[in-house]
Amino acid sequence: MSTQIRSASARFSTAVGTIFVAALLLTGCSSTEPESNQSSQTPVSGGNLAYATGDAEPTCLDPHVGGNYPQALVSTQYLEPLVSLNNDGEIIPWLATSWEEAEDGLSWTITVRENVQFTDGTPLNAEAVRANIEHLKDPETASSTGFLALAKVTGTEIVGGYTIRLNLSEPDSALMESLSQPWLAIQSPTALERSKAENCESPVGTGPFIVDEWVKQNSITLIRNEDYNSPPADAGHKGPAYLESITWRFIPDSASRYAALQAGEIDVIDNAQPDTIDSAAKNDSIEHLDAPRPGASNRIELNSSKPPFNEPLVREAFIHSANVDAGISSLFFDTAERSYSPLSSVEELSYEDAELFTYDPKEANRLLDKAGWDQRDSQGYRVKDGKQLSLEFPVSTNQSIPAEVSLFEQIQATAKEVGFKIDLNLLDLSSWYGALAENNYDLVSAPYTKVGPDVLRTLYHSDGIVPAPSGYFANLTQVDSPELDKLLTEASRQTDPDRRAALYEEAQKLILEGYYILPLYDQQNHFLYRSSVEGLRALPTVSTPTFYDVWLNR
Amino acid sequence: MATAARWLLAKVLGAVFVLWAVTTLIFFGIRMIPGDPAEAILGGPGSQASAAALAQVRAEYGLDQPLVVQYFAQLARLAQGDLGNSYSLRLPVSSLLGEQLPATLILALLSLVLAWIVALGLATWSTLSGRGASLVSSGLEIIGAAVPHFWLASVLILLFSINLGWLPPVNTGSAEGLILPVVTLALPLAGFLGQVMRESMLNATTSPFALSARARSETEGGVLFRHSLRHAAIPGIALSGWAFGSLISGAVVVETIFARPGLGRTLLSAVTLRDIPLVTGVALVSALAYVLVMALSDLAERIADPRVGNL
Repeated sequence: MSTQIRSASARFSTAVGTIFVAALLLTGCSSTEPESNQSSQTPVSGGNLAYATGDAEPTCLDPHVGGNYPQALVSTQYLEPLVSLNNDGEIIPWLATSWEEAEDGLSWTITVRENVQFTDGTPLNAEAVRANIEHLKDPETASSTGFLALAKVTGTEIVGGYTIRLNLSEPDSALMESLSQPWLAIQSPTALERSKAENCESPVGTGPFIVDEWVKQNSITLIRNEDYNSPPADAGHKGPAYLESITWRFIPDSASRYAALQAGEIDVIDNAQPDTIDSAAKNDSIEHLDAPRPGASNRIELNSSKPPFNEPLVREAFIHSANVDAGISSLFFDTAERSYSPLSSVEELSYEDAELFTYDPKEANRLLDKAGWDQRDSQGYRVKDGKQLSLEFPVSTNQSIPAEVSLFEQIQATAKEVGFKIDLNLLDLSSWYGALAENNYDLVSAPYTKVGPDVLRTLYHSDGIVPAPSGYFANLTQVDSPELDKLLTEASRQTDPDRRAALYEEAQKLILEGYYILPLYDQQNHFLYRSSVEGLRALPTVSTPTFYDVWLNR
Repeated sequence: MATAARWLLAKVLGAVFVLWAVTTLIFFGIRMIPGDPAEAILGGPGSQASAAALAQVRAEYGLDQPLVVQYFAQLARLAQGDLGNSYSLRLPVSSLLGEQLPATLILALLSLVLAWIVALGLATWSTLSGRGASLVSSGLEIIGAAVPHFWLASVLILLFSINLGWLPPVNTGSAEGLILPVVTLALPLAGFLGQVMRESMLNATTSPFALSARARSETEGGVLFRHSLRHAAIPGIALSGWAFGSLISGAVVVETIFARPGLGRTLLSAVTLRDIPLVTGVALVSALAYVLVMALSDLAERIADPRVGNL
């Protein structure tokens, strides 16, 4: 499940958070102890770091099972994938030292490091990688993200002790990007042989930390791996981590999370809300790390499979009727930057075109007149053949943070001026998926995290319109264009990087110029941390924080 | 003795009925919400689970059976005391409940005790100190009873954790960490209990038996502690069963804000994840606790107030 499911209590937190933060702002933030800012100091080994996540508590600590963001956040500390990305989006070594695609593109040969051991003593080798690929593809495992990522892998061959070949049904230009994701990290084959329940409780990897204890609804204790020797190529040091242990807390309420950070009970929090980030900026002892997620940008998708959005003019009119920029800067306190691309700005191949998305009510009115929606009813909404121009917009309150819901309300208000009636329905996650499955929506916003531009194929290829047996489908715009399908399929098989980039640019142009989506901003991923925390960074893959290089300056 | 046996039998039958009703309501209620339990097992809606994985899970959990078959299978399992396995956490529900129940019980019981102390304190003080105090305490009670838990929790955290730095804003595992959550749950309840207790205490101090006690040159304190307190306690006892139920629902909010483990938080995440066995388990345990406390308060009321009828 690459889609990001926010914590259960997000909605409930809204009320608390609003009151709480308002009160905080009124009373002023009192904790302003002096903090040293010399990051040039030598790292100190030892200490326990307390992390508080606002994402849901994982149901299983093995990210092969299912595969969602809460799992990625924590498993980044104890499991390692074959490769990583550097800040330029290039694949770099991690557990794998080299990889090579066959001439025909139908296999990849991957060599892993020698002298690396899982924390249960099992050696890392080609057999271990094979066991992981098989575990991911086994229906018993119930993997969704990893399973999809390996869809083209048909089998494995052991080439040597540390070299394995992955055979493919067709070329897969996204394979190494897929393998960089935390959902495809490599685990001890010995540990994988235990029962699923056992492996969910205490997965065994090669990472800098080890899962020590998991107290449900409360915390996970991670302790240092003293024998650690396999950092990614872009890590800040070698050898074991500086921190002795990490307490991984689940604090679903965003106001409580921030309060705990301010009180010094917690060192790092995630899912920081825009108002909190804004107030934290005035606090000298708290720092901010903005690490947007890769994959798709956050966008509003227009359902092109039925009236009124099966008419391109109406889609274009809607897009010009929405005043997005003003809403973003006021509701997000300038913590989010406007996007004009289907892809996250951290995606190397993201293509954007701001010209298409201007706020222009005059043009919107002209387009609606041209499309035949030239009458207005007594309330000012447009009418055609006795039908009102109304749009269903189901919003998942589990996935859209309060500021985003407010942004949708502002879009609703500006669209009303040109005659669109938008019915915003705030729904819980199940009902929201229910509305989508019944095709009962015209507008929808759904996040999607995945490394690399191949996410476009998941979201905009016509294959994605056919619902899975569960009723879920990823192509929410329901764009059904043979031309686009061809571009996306070809790009996913293309081995030449320049050609691949050109194909993805072409595909993005088709999506943007067809007015199928209204891009808003990158998927928000903000961390706040005490300034005594040194060396914190987010991995360039899916922007999960890594604590390997972190040390405590206190 | 026959009355006692009949009383016990009625309570047990009532409990069984409540448990059956709760199970049935949850079983059909959750299935009426759109969505697929098999998806829940595979990591929630939208998990893009493959058809093979879904089929596997359906067969494994018996979800491919007709609804009625599943319902009776669940009743049969429950009758044997088997609560099944949690879909989301893949562990026996009974062991999960065993882990989470103590935290919530401690929270609820401490809150109940504190609420009683505050309510009785207010009632006694206002009765002893006359009209002005009565007005003040009734005002406090009304405010207390009307304050929502999440607001109170936020204010307490702001004051005692952020501004004064005395108490941790989230659960730390220490006893200190219990203070704010207990106060958050206790104050609204104290306001409610206090209103009822003060009323009956005032009635008692002006009733004929209080007059006759005074005539026997009993002091005001004596009248209060020997006679009126019992009268104040009776409606409090009668309400305590209900109060305990309200504390468990309040625990959902308090456990979430103070990041405490417990039944409330388990219930919240289980509902979101459509984890039917876990939701059923939490509901059954809460219902059982509620029934038990109701019976106890019924018993206590009979002991404290002979008019209700002894067993």
